[in-house]
Amino acid sequence: MKHQRWFTTLALLGVLSLVAAACASDDDGGGGGGDGGVDCATVEFGCVEVSADEPITLGSLLSISGDTASLGTDSNHGIELAIDDLDDTLDGTPGQLLDHDVELQQEDDLCSAEGGQAGGTALANDPKIAAVIGTSCSSSALGVADKLLSDKGILLFSPSNTGPSLTAEDQHQPFYARTAHNDKIQGAIVAEFVFNELGLDTAATINDESPYAAGLAEAFRTNFEAAGGTITAVEQIDSGDQDFSALLRSIAEGNPGALYFPDFNPACALITKQAADIMPDAALLGSDGCLATEFFGTAGDAADGVYASSPDVTVFQGGDFYKNEFLPAYSEQFGTAPTSVFHAHAFDATNIVFDAIEAVAIQNDDGSLSIPRQALRDAVFDTSGYQGITGTITCTPTGDCATDVTIGIFQAPGWPVEGGDPNASAVYSDTKSLADVS
Amino acid sequence: MNRVVKAGLAGGAVTIFLGLVGLIERFADLSLVGEQVTFSRLILVVAPFIVGYAVGRPRVEHGERRSITAREALLWGAVAGAVAGALVGVAAVAVDAFGVERVRAVFIQVTQGLIDFVTLGLEPPIVGAIGLTAISAVAGVLGGAMHVVPDRIRKPIVSAIATILALGFLQRVVPVAMAEIDLETDWLYTSAGLTWFGAAVIGGIAAGVSILKTWKGDVIRDAIRGTTTGSQIGVEGSAPRGGTSVLRTVILGGAAVGLFVLPLVVGSVVSERLGTVMVFILLGLGLNIVVGYAGLLDLGYVAFFAFGAYATGILTGGMLNSFEGITPPVIHADLSFYVALPIVVLLAAFVGMLIGAPVLRLRGDYLALVTLGLGEMVSVLVASPWLTPLVGGPAGMRDISDAAIGGISFRDPKNFYFLALAFVILALFVSRRLYRSRIGRAWTAMREDEQTADAMGISTTSYKLLAFAMGGAIGSIGGALFAVKIGSITPASFQVFVSLQVLGIVILGGLGSLPGVVVGALVLVGLPGILREFEEYSFLAYGAALVIVMLLRPQGLVPNVRRTRELQEEERAQDAWAAEKEQEAAVEGVST
Amino acid sequence: MADREGGVARVADVRMSRFERLPWRRIILLILSIGLITLTIIGSVATLSKPPGEGGYSGATWAGFVVDGISQGAIYALIAIGYTLVYGILRMINFAHGEVMMTGAFAGFFFAAAYAESGFLNRHPITAMLIVTLAALIVSMIVAVLLERIAYRPLRNAPRLVPLITAIGASLFIQNAFRGFFGPQARGFPRPDILIGNVELFGLEIPKVRILVVVVGLVCMVLLQGFVARTRTGRSMRAVAQDREIASLMGIDVNRVIMITFAVGGILAGIAAVLFATTFEQVRFDMGFKVGIAAFTAAVLGGIGSIGGAVLGGFLLGLLQAIGPALILSGFGIPSPFALKDAFTFLVLVLVLVYRPGGLLGTGEQEKV
Repeated sequence: MKHQRWFTTLALLGVLSLVAAACASDDDGGGGGGDGGVDCATVEFGCVEVSADEPITLGSLLSISGDTASLGTDSNHGIELAIDDLDDTLDGTPGQLLDHDVELQQEDDLCSAEGGQAGGTALANDPKIAAVIGTSCSSSALGVADKLLSDKGILLFSPSNTGPSLTAEDQHQPFYARTAHNDKIQGAIVAEFVFNELGLDTAATINDESPYAAGLAEAFRTNFEAAGGTITAVEQIDSGDQDFSALLRSIAEGNPGALYFPDFNPACALITKQAADIMPDAALLGSDGCLATEFFGTAGDAADGVYASSPDVTVFQGGDFYKNEFLPAYSEQFGTAPTSVFHAHAFDATNIVFDAIEAVAIQNDDGSLSIPRQALRDAVFDTSGYQGITGTITCTPTGDCATDVTIGIFQAPGWPVEGGDPNASAVYSDTKSLADVS
Repeated sequence: MNRVVKAGLAGGAVTIFLGLVGLIERFADLSLVGEQVTFSRLILVVAPFIVGYAVGRPRVEHGERRSITAREALLWGAVAGAVAGALVGVAAVAVDAFGVERVRAVFIQVTQGLIDFVTLGLEPPIVGAIGLTAISAVAGVLGGAMHVVPDRIRKPIVSAIATILALGFLQRVVPVAMAEIDLETDWLYTSAGLTWFGAAVIGGIAAGVSILKTWKGDVIRDAIRGTTTGSQIGVEGSAPRGGTSVLRTVILGGAAVGLFVLPLVVGSVVSERLGTVMVFILLGLGLNIVVGYAGLLDLGYVAFFAFGAYATGILTGGMLNSFEGITPPVIHADLSFYVALPIVVLLAAFVGMLIGAPVLRLRGDYLALVTLGLGEMVSVLVASPWLTPLVGGPAGMRDISDAAIGGISFRDPKNFYFLALAFVILALFVSRRLYRSRIGRAWTAMREDEQTADAMGISTTSYKLLAFAMGGAIGSIGGALFAVKIGSITPASFQVFVSLQVLGIVILGGLGSLPGVVVGALVLVGLPGILREFEEYSFLAYGAALVIVMLLRPQGLVPNVRRTRELQEEERAQDAWAAEKEQEAAVEGVST
Repeated sequence: MADREGGVARVADVRMSRFERLPWRRIILLILSIGLITLTIIGSVATLSKPPGEGGYSGATWAGFVVDGISQGAIYALIAIGYTLVYGILRMINFAHGEVMMTGAFAGFFFAAAYAESGFLNRHPITAMLIVTLAALIVSMIVAVLLERIAYRPLRNAPRLVPLITAIGASLFIQNAFRGFFGPQARGFPRPDILIGNVELFGLEIPKVRILVVVVGLVCMVLLQGFVARTRTGRSMRAVAQDREIASLMGIDVNRVIMITFAVGGILAGIAAVLFATTFEQVRFDMGFKVGIAAFTAAVLGGIGSIGGAVLGGFLLGLLQAIGPALILSGFGIPSPFALKDAFTFLVLVLVLVYRPGGLLGTGEQEKV
């Protein structure tokens, strides 16, 4: 019978496909010959080979499209400035590393696991990539991009991921590190601020459906309760909603002294506006997801007095370099003031990678370079006491390089972004290390 | 002439629209061939070209089919093209006069760079506008010329250009694939698109194939299909020949082999995209049963997708990404993927019936809304704090089984492709059998006229439930595979839009058509996956594609024959009405 | 003849599904009803019995919920009318109606922003807002009419699925076109000073803007009802809605009437857009999508095809969204009940449709197509 024949054919094909899978093993590109202590042909993960006239390729896996585009583009700018700075001047002309140009290959992490996989796969399978700066969103890294790249021995260095689980003992991937702070620290400092500085012992949290907000809100709650405060309400919203009045009324019922909503815009701005009407006496606090130009446009007058927690950029400005050279160069090259704070972390991360490449790259006689991957990773993880623009950087074995993090609480209109006051300083600032909060 | 001018204005409006939306500016640097043929330049001339082509088409006028003389085609093409270009030019000049920055305050994509580009970089802008008009007129003439030129010249040219453009767009994919099988790519691609030489070669090959098809098309088709065409035996049409042809077996065998060798050829990156396409094909096949076969308008298919993914996660030892670290969900099992899968499928079928039960008595649009709502409910639930102890809330789950068999991990994109392919083949097989069985016939009867089917004794209730159950089962397999592919799932992947996407795949491919689902998935999921630069415009294109396909070809790209007849009956009624309107207009025109 | 009829009936009887023969359906429905009512009562009682601040709510808060619900409901009602009008005439869901509203909102925004900057908005708020609303409703009307001409008219005789897909496509297209034109960020919509703040009414503090929304909404609904019931065009609309062919035979220009229907829907959506933008002080390219679905839900809830149904459905939905999670879900101790707001609303919709497939004000029976 015709059906029968088709069935057997299809079944055979099905079996064949599984057999073919067995044969489809991906072979790792081994490195070419190299000398100088590391044998690229046998060392685990091999080496990145850069021939004499080729550029060194750096990859980036950041959110460059969609609603979070400002986040990723900003970080890319930080990387580009680092490449510019290779010749020790921020003049718009890129410098060279070990006599090679540096090229940036940008991939989009789409702020989602799919984007992390798609972009991560693209970068992981490109033998030219020396290291990757990324991702922007924790959801694209966690269990996805970090694993994909670690399996190929490619360093994933994030300027932006703040989710605690990425560097937790049981979840950390060997080739993952970050210069962004661990949100446990931010949550702890905000809790302290609310409890001690503002003297409020009741608070409520509103997070959106992103892992970032959920994690940060939880960090806040844990620390707030540990300090002796009471959490009156824990609420979750959808970032696309516009009407939060019923929710805010419900929260107002519990009479919290403070409301912490570490969400993105425009939800953050809308909550601000509606809370100003419904709970005018409560202290309102957002986080770095809120700290963007968009906030002021939407929140209008209600913006005044709203706090936001964020890495303290004024610490960066403490050094002349950031204020007098970096920021002007940023404005000049990209036509705008920075749209988020993570460009600085990207700058530091890129420079650390450059230093590491310089340290471990094998310069062959023909002018080509061999960069052993494992050694590169080790060199980065060995970073200690590095003076970056975000502060002193020392990497822990689980990849948290921003070990001493200074979080500042800013009060609108004194927010250090376009639309606020780019030169504002924090009303409260504290430095904690990961050990303090774990 | 009126009609020609209107067409030109429409074309110009489209180009202005593309400029306002930012497509022109964004891809000013994307060169397709050499450095001269950039995407933006292509956009500028595409609209006049298409408009020129459209006005040259033979039309129905006064009830008669009227063909266009060569002179008319070229002339009208020129006029239409010129009008299109003029409109854009005028707009650019106006913006320039008014002040680019002031316009930019409203339409953020209108930059000085855009205006300069549109006015061809000439000063003052009015000169550029005139230049643009001239170029558009030429494009329009070429469009009209498509009707004038005889087939045997036109087809190879179109073939060549289409192939060149396609390869130009695929400039990120094809060189990688070629490198994977150790072919030299320098002659074909540079870092900026195709080389002129490469383009010429490709164009030549495409034209050659096209010529071959025209000459010997019949012969080749016969060889493939095992038929004999009229030209050979002196009668109209084709008739089957006895036995199967060798050529046919070879080609099919070759295609099958190609399918299996594909990941090895195209590399991990494209394999990963293909893996996603496979998952969506699976989803499309499931929805095809519900919407295509049974005619039940389900807009909430994401529910099954999410269910399959999360259920697989829970049953195969997935862990929750909680704040303290990894924690197991409250319901938790550590089964092998292949043991968990049947459980998931059965549960999904059951859930399908649960969802189907309350909506059984609803018709069409109500059903659509309710299923949409149910889909949205599921999206909300998997992210909600309430269900966080079970599914992980916003942070989602991780460490889902990689469905390994004897050491082969299916998380590797190349391996995953095969796993997904196996299930797709299974689903195709099941769909086909269902369609041809009594169940399929009952569904068709139900779909075409429910009351009559009811009266004939077909239990619409049971069959509807069955449709939901089967659709749910297949959809959940898609979800399970998705979970295996990425290993981590978050609620962000299970939004309402996925339902719309899968619906689009089924509709675009052709309702009830199995090859259509495959084509639909390739176009709607594969293309955006490969043309990643256009990511931001994918929704826009998607929306436009849906509208255009529904207007021009509602039976889809690879239609199911029976359904086409259904739709065509409607079309005939509609055509009759349209023809009537035209006659009326003509009569009025005559009498005024 | 009687014999044969009887014979057919009996054969059909025998072949009728077991499902339909047993009173299973009734039993299930009964159990369902009892279960739901019980759950609702338990939830509500639990919430109401808790003191304010510990899961319960004070009277002022309840009042606040109600006010929010009514005001939001007015907006839903205006948009729902648009859906219901189109459905009544064409039996099709205009999925893109939410986007029609969004376009009006943007149009109004540009005017409002300009006026705010020049100070005109606060010097002559009424005139300014009128102009803003006019701009919004004109644009919405134009978009609605264009939509009908380009995307829906050619498909008027197509099977139901086709225009639905087209509508979905149009919705996506318009949304993303506006995203391309004006950017993905939300823009702040200015609110004139006179609308800022609360007013005291019946001992409650009610935001001024919410009152305005309800008042304007009600006025529009009344005007519309008058238009449809009394004017000739209105009568034509009803005629075409009832039977298109016969209406055309009676000399009614069906195309024109359909165009007017879309236009009216567009106008209402434009007004709703300004009301919405003023309440939330924001416009965004995707603001239409969720509101659109909610409004459509409202229309179906109330009984699609009937204007009264749309109005009832709108207010009911607004109230449900505001009160439902607070009243019922929090009683069960569900964490973050407001996160389930949408899920709750849809559950209600499904339940209503189970019992009354035509919606609340529908005939109680699904129309047989």
